[in-house]
Amino acid sequence: MGVFSQASRNTLTGIVVDKDQHTVVSAYVHLFPDSAVTVTDTGGRFRFTDVPAGVHTLFCDALGYQGISLPLTLAGDRHVTLTLAVAANELEEVVVNSRRPPELHTATVSELKGRSLLQTRGASLGEALKQLPGLNSVQTGPSLSKPVIHGLHSNRVLLVNDGVRQQGQQWGSEHAPEIDPFVANRISVIKGAASVRYGSDAIAGVVLMTPDELPTARGIGGDVYLIGASNGRMGAASASLQGAFGKSLGGLSWRAQGTLKNAGNFRTPGYYLINTGLQEGDFSLALGYKWKGVRLNAYYSQYNNKLGIFSGAESGNLKELLSKFASAVPATPSYFSYKIDRSYQVVNHELVKASASYEPKKGGRLELTFGRQNDLRREYDSDLPYNNNPEILAKPQLSFRLITHTLELVYTQRSRKGFSGSCGLTGYTSGNVFEGIRYLIPNFRDYNGGAFAIERYQLKKVMFEAGLRYDYRWLRVYRRDPVSLQAYHSTFDYNNVTGTVGATYRYNGHFNVSVNTGTAWRAPSINELYINGIHFSDASYQIGDSSLRSERALNTSLSLGYTGARLRMNVDVYYNVLRNYIYETPLANPVTTIGGTFPAFLYTQDNVNIKGLDASLEFDVLKHLTFQSKATLVRGFNETIHDHLIYMPCDRYENGLTYQLPGMAGVQSPYVSVENVSVLKQTRVPPNIDYVPPPGGYSLFHVNAGFVLPVKQHRLDVNLAVNNVANVAYRDYLNHFRYYADEIGRNFTIRLKYSF
Amino acid sequence: MKKVHIVLLMSVMTCLLFWTSCKKEEQAVAPPEPGNEFLTTVELVATNANDPADVQTGKWVKLNPDDTSAPDISQAFLNLKKNAVYHVAVSFLDETQTPAEDVTEEIRERQNYHLVCFDIAPGLDLTVHRTDHDTNTPALEVGLEADFTTGDAGSGDLEVTLHHQPNVKNGDCAPGSIDADVNFTININ
Repeated sequence: MGVFSQASRNTLTGIVVDKDQHTVVSAYVHLFPDSAVTVTDTGGRFRFTDVPAGVHTLFCDALGYQGISLPLTLAGDRHVTLTLAVAANELEEVVVNSRRPPELHTATVSELKGRSLLQTRGASLGEALKQLPGLNSVQTGPSLSKPVIHGLHSNRVLLVNDGVRQQGQQWGSEHAPEIDPFVANRISVIKGAASVRYGSDAIAGVVLMTPDELPTARGIGGDVYLIGASNGRMGAASASLQGAFGKSLGGLSWRAQGTLKNAGNFRTPGYYLINTGLQEGDFSLALGYKWKGVRLNAYYSQYNNKLGIFSGAESGNLKELLSKFASAVPATPSYFSYKIDRSYQVVNHELVKASASYEPKKGGRLELTFGRQNDLRREYDSDLPYNNNPEILAKPQLSFRLITHTLELVYTQRSRKGFSGSCGLTGYTSGNVFEGIRYLIPNFRDYNGGAFAIERYQLKKVMFEAGLRYDYRWLRVYRRDPVSLQAYHSTFDYNNVTGTVGATYRYNGHFNVSVNTGTAWRAPSINELYINGIHFSDASYQIGDSSLRSERALNTSLSLGYTGARLRMNVDVYYNVLRNYIYETPLANPVTTIGGTFPAFLYTQDNVNIKGLDASLEFDVLKHLTFQSKATLVRGFNETIHDHLIYMPCDRYENGLTYQLPGMAGVQSPYVSVENVSVLKQTRVPPNIDYVPPPGGYSLFHVNAGFVLPVKQHRLDVNLAVNNVANVAYRDYLNHFRYYADEIGRNFTIRLKYSF
Repeated sequence: MKKVHIVLLMSVMTCLLFWTSCKKEEQAVAPPEPGNEFLTTVELVATNANDPADVQTGKWVKLNPDDTSAPDISQAFLNLKKNAVYHVAVSFLDETQTPAEDVTEEIRERQNYHLVCFDIAPGLDLTVHRTDHDTNTPALEVGLEADFTTGDAGSGDLEVTLHHQPNVKNGDCAPGSIDADVNFTININ
């Protein structure tokens, strides 16, 4: 590799041209892993200063051109020429390590990739996304987290795993996404109504998990991750191996990937949370074949997770919940163990995916994607039935199996005279089987179909986008009469048209403005229609309403961005009007069972609005010192009851400083950062819905440091983090455990990523 | 050629979508699990220590364990003589079955992690002492048998709770979760 000088700071300059040697103005040039970005000037030139010697990659993209990447090894000042090819079928592409950007180009998108993704490795998907502006997480304890976009979550946030819509029991706030974050190297979040492209449930937004494209160059490469964390004594390992064949098997490539994770009881500043361990084992296999314009892909993945439920969080009736809340410390023993006893949940999610795409030489792409998911969720309660039959005692108290088949045909037209776009047909069908000691939700079968078209027109610096979609849903629910035991069914159908209109204006390579108005819809979920029973974890008796209609949202967003040499900032403001928003309203009379008195809630629908602001800023105070700031503010209002909307996220502010140290002793890009996260108390709460007041605000400090170590031709990324440095005891409004216990305390994490 | 391709794709699409979803397992709705014992009834039988003929029975019943109907509390009371001691047996029954299934024995088998607690309303002159013990080390009270000692005449609520305390039983009522929580009216005359 060569000898590195003590503090080797170099200047990397270059020029971006097209195939005819004309300079390209306003091209974005990204330097990895330094996370530096600049824009070419009127002469097509760019410059990066104080670049440490060693391995880097330059990525360049510009309007109307295909993105390119150039790996290079820097051992002194260097000048490069980047030649861009005109894009055959893609516009506005931000290509870093995937071919396909989110298909709604005027929507507000936030992304997690590169170093910020590395800093989240080992955490669940909900936890990892929490740091993006506009996002929060709703939790049930330390390891169960679901992403919240602009105040909404669960089945108002759609999860798409490499082009396949994730289907599980996502209606439950204790049902975390059944996806291993390690399968993706880029996670994009569309914030706002996106039903026009993705169908039902994309009300608050869409989380897109995108793996890297399979390799094309001959040889074998991969990554190995090793992660250790002190809180919960968690260990995680993930490895990915990929390769491409040459000669007679040319065009064939593959990837094998797997993750193992094990944690024991987590600890708050004052005590251990007993029975909060987790065990996870996932793997995936991908095979791809490329021949001329045809690509064939096959994919198989498995996610298996066993998660303990804190013994102190098993509440019974309201009186019990209030007495648990009143005690400062949970009345449970406090010690560390990896053992997971009842109550625990076991989730197994299996995905089979096959896709075929054809790109003719003159442009355009036709892609057919088929998927099959098998989602099995079993809940094992500590409260066993009074029975001595060992078979019955070994069973889970609740078991849900959801099998979904999806099929999607999308045609992306080649861009011609400024026009581009896509259209398609999508469909999916699910069958749900429920078994349990008590009724919770019924069996059902659904069929869903949609047809959409999205068109874009680029006129000088402005891009216009418009789209339209029609969705049809058919649902049949199977039940058994409790008295006659006769089986019967009920059938429902839903029709919805959604659309989007937007524009993006890119001015002089520094400013961009995006405005978008879109509609989205969501059919009522099975629990909102048919739940009837006690929800023990929040001491409530829930009653569904089978006459509920679809929710419809109209979302308007405005996004402003500035990218300069020293300052990069983004502000997104949005206003989301939801008609027929489904939520639980308290009933006047509680329900009394032998277990005590439970407040009763009926699912109903009202009109609400949610508005907010997401802002992020990065300012290079000094050459090597950067100030980062993020703010997420959400305001929800229930128009029907003229009061605040329940369970909206608190105002959240993140501020930090990152110092880039000079490279030394073979170590590259070392950095140290300190961050403060401040969450304010939620004061906008309607009366009578929550029996326990929101917790106070809190402020946490995190420290993060890392560097890159080149190892022969390969690379080792090292990351060290201390979260909640001051070991502050606090509770978060969106964590269900706030009724019972504090959040976890200080946590030391080390992450190693070896790439070869 | 293009049109044929599209038609072919559409038919492949429809076939794929339907052939694998033909199993229809969801139509077979599982009947209620046999052998699941619900708790429907809490019964208190109080026998006067000095007068075995004075036996009082109170019963709290909700036959449909998980629905919104009101429980039957018409017999959820005990008429006790003042200044007396009663030996009380607490029973838990599943009256959805005929004959009624006595779940008390199963609770007794699991006594090492169950506790019955008695919460007396202020103003009611009653004291409760549990008289049975489990096989923990040291032995802890269970509460399926208790002595009720009455004082002056009066009326008030007695809340009877059955606590499920796996690995956390220490004699206190706080740990664990509540399996039953019912109220009886105690009338002392």
